[in-house]
Amino acid sequence: MTSSPEVVQLSEVRASCTQCAWQTLCLPASLDGTNLERLDEVVRKRRPLRRGEVLYREGLRHAALFVVRSGTLKTSTTLADGDTQVLGFHLPGEIVGFDGLVDEPHHSTAEALEDSSVCEVPVARLAEIAAQIPLLQQQVYRIMGREFSREQMHAVMMGRRHAMARLALFLHGLSERRRACNHDPDSLHLSMSRQDVANYLGLVIETVSRLFSRLQSLGVLAVDRRAVRILDHAALAELAQGEEDSRATA
Amino acid sequence: MMLAALHRPAPAAAPQFDREVIARYDTNGPRYTSYPTAPHFHEGFGEAEFRAVAHASNEDPIPAPLSLYVHVPFCPSPCFYCGCTRIITRDRRKPLAYVDRLVREAALVAPLFDHDREVSQLHFGGGTPNVLDAPSLDFLMAELGRCFDLSRAPSREFGIEVDPRLATPADIARFAALGFNRLSLGIQDFDADVQRAVNRVQGVAETRALLEAAQRHGFRSTSVDLIYGLPLQTRERFATTLDAVVSMRPRRIVTYAYAHLPERFPAQRRIDRHDLPDAATRLGLLELAVERLCGAGYRYIGMDHFALPDDDLAIAQANGSLQRNFQGYSTHARSDLIGLGMSSISHVGASFSQNARDLPNYEAAIDAGRLPVCRGLALDADDLIRADVIQQLMCNDEIDVGRVEAVHRIDFASYFREALDRLGGLAADGLVSLSPTRVVVAARGRLLLRNVAMCFDRYLGRGLPPKMHYSKTV
Repeated sequence: MTSSPEVVQLSEVRASCTQCAWQTLCLPASLDGTNLERLDEVVRKRRPLRRGEVLYREGLRHAALFVVRSGTLKTSTTLADGDTQVLGFHLPGEIVGFDGLVDEPHHSTAEALEDSSVCEVPVARLAEIAAQIPLLQQQVYRIMGREFSREQMHAVMMGRRHAMARLALFLHGLSERRRACNHDPDSLHLSMSRQDVANYLGLVIETVSRLFSRLQSLGVLAVDRRAVRILDHAALAELAQGEEDSRATA
Repeated sequence: MMLAALHRPAPAAAPQFDREVIARYDTNGPRYTSYPTAPHFHEGFGEAEFRAVAHASNEDPIPAPLSLYVHVPFCPSPCFYCGCTRIITRDRRKPLAYVDRLVREAALVAPLFDHDREVSQLHFGGGTPNVLDAPSLDFLMAELGRCFDLSRAPSREFGIEVDPRLATPADIARFAALGFNRLSLGIQDFDADVQRAVNRVQGVAETRALLEAAQRHGFRSTSVDLIYGLPLQTRERFATTLDAVVSMRPRRIVTYAYAHLPERFPAQRRIDRHDLPDAATRLGLLELAVERLCGAGYRYIGMDHFALPDDDLAIAQANGSLQRNFQGYSTHARSDLIGLGMSSISHVGASFSQNARDLPNYEAAIDAGRLPVCRGLALDADDLIRADVIQQLMCNDEIDVGRVEAVHRIDFASYFREALDRLGGLAADGLVSLSPTRVVVAARGRLLLRNVAMCFDRYLGRGLPPKMHYSKTV
């Protein structure tokens, strides 16, 4: 298994928010030295998560937010019939755990899809400090808003009638998220299984593979095991609009 | 990460036979049908590990197609040169009981792989697969078809190794009806004295009839095996064999070097050492084979394999899609290989694994409802890099340095400093040419591919004496 190019060095994981690559995503730009240090006291760097390891589990209380530092997390929930529904995939710089903010058990489970690392921000302490630093307070709302709109993307995706449009939108979204944190938007490493992708997009696994093969033969993607290279962004964006003709879904 | 190799190697030049150089490089070494090679498999890799890699192999966005290898270990009589895992018996009940276990093994292993993964390659090897009678083979193929999605596409590679002494043209028709489209016939040598010395007497006419039947029944490819270095072989006798074979126009010809390792293969003790051709004669036989086969329009593919220019193998080599596998070479891109039967090797994801190598242990595992995996190996990042490089050498006669660097994110020159040092000697002998962008096997190095590949083998010289485990490179 080749490691992805953006693997975070262990030294970086140990370092504080001051040096964090995701600082601009987490923190207000104008947060100054003293306030940063106060935040540093709150944020706990957790030990790295092994592939498959669970960060928090449905039904348990754990009032904290987690910032993904490296790797990928998957959140999922158990449905009434016992089936699992994948809720989302979370990349470096993104935050999970909002469903534990209210004083209730988590209604989702977060697990590492590959070796990953996270920062833990206990909610009580965050609230305490945010109350004293208005800038941070605003930033927390901003982040919540950002994560919320990402959740809404899933509804948009599921609203697409064509399976191809769903997958194209999904890949386009992953690419944009990589672009947002200055990674090569053309090169995706899918740490989620095709079962996860299928579940997330409401498709069967055979369809997922058939669509990937189709995108490859159309010259939109090059797929080698988990490595996906986007060769034609315009075509992918067009397919994501769901206006594709029947050729693409055949 | 890498897209199909963008670079298309030019059709390789015919191998140049340089007797002095070849004699000097005649050492023991692996054939690299896998890297790392089978002697490095260990018992720490068992059933649980196999299940895990099988599960993981389903998770790719486009899971690789499947490839099945079915080992039929029985032979009615021993060919004295043979180093394969086989059981000599004329008891017809043994194959019946074995087929029953193969079917149960298929039922155990198939559910580990998602059902939409088509089997695009199937190979029956031995032993002698055609010791199975018609009802047994029909039953086995029907059951494999129930467990797996066997491809019906014309591009499928479904092959069977056949002992011509036990087959008739009607059998070939039967194999075609079952979906086989590749036939591999053992010949070794047509000379009567050589045949007696190795306990394998078979006629030219019966062999020719089978190849003709294969052509009639739409077999996409036919292959015959020859062996040089057998007892009593001479240049004249082997020339007669080569002429007879060329006149039958099989699409592929494989000329194996006989490996005399009587301490490992008891049947070989029945070969009189004094009957073996000396080193000079052996080289002469190889030279003759290269000369006659290339002269008759066959292309040298690499590692003892020759093919007609319009055969899939030669076409695949020309367009850079050739693959090395346990059966020699293949035209199909990466697939996950599942080995069924005693001693069979699987290659799933980044792992190799092997089934129990003797019948009692194989049977006991199946009877207990266990997968019969007895040993294996999970490839690490370094193994994968070296496997890729060795594969490029075996298939393309060259290494595309830029591609290796892009795919594996390494600096070739520093990563392979030791290998390049070793290659320096071969370069001085004109076997390879080295440049910052390519390592190219020269015409006079093409018959010494293993020696070139050995430079990249991290395991050589560590613990296992090559002489014990590997045959002569030439």
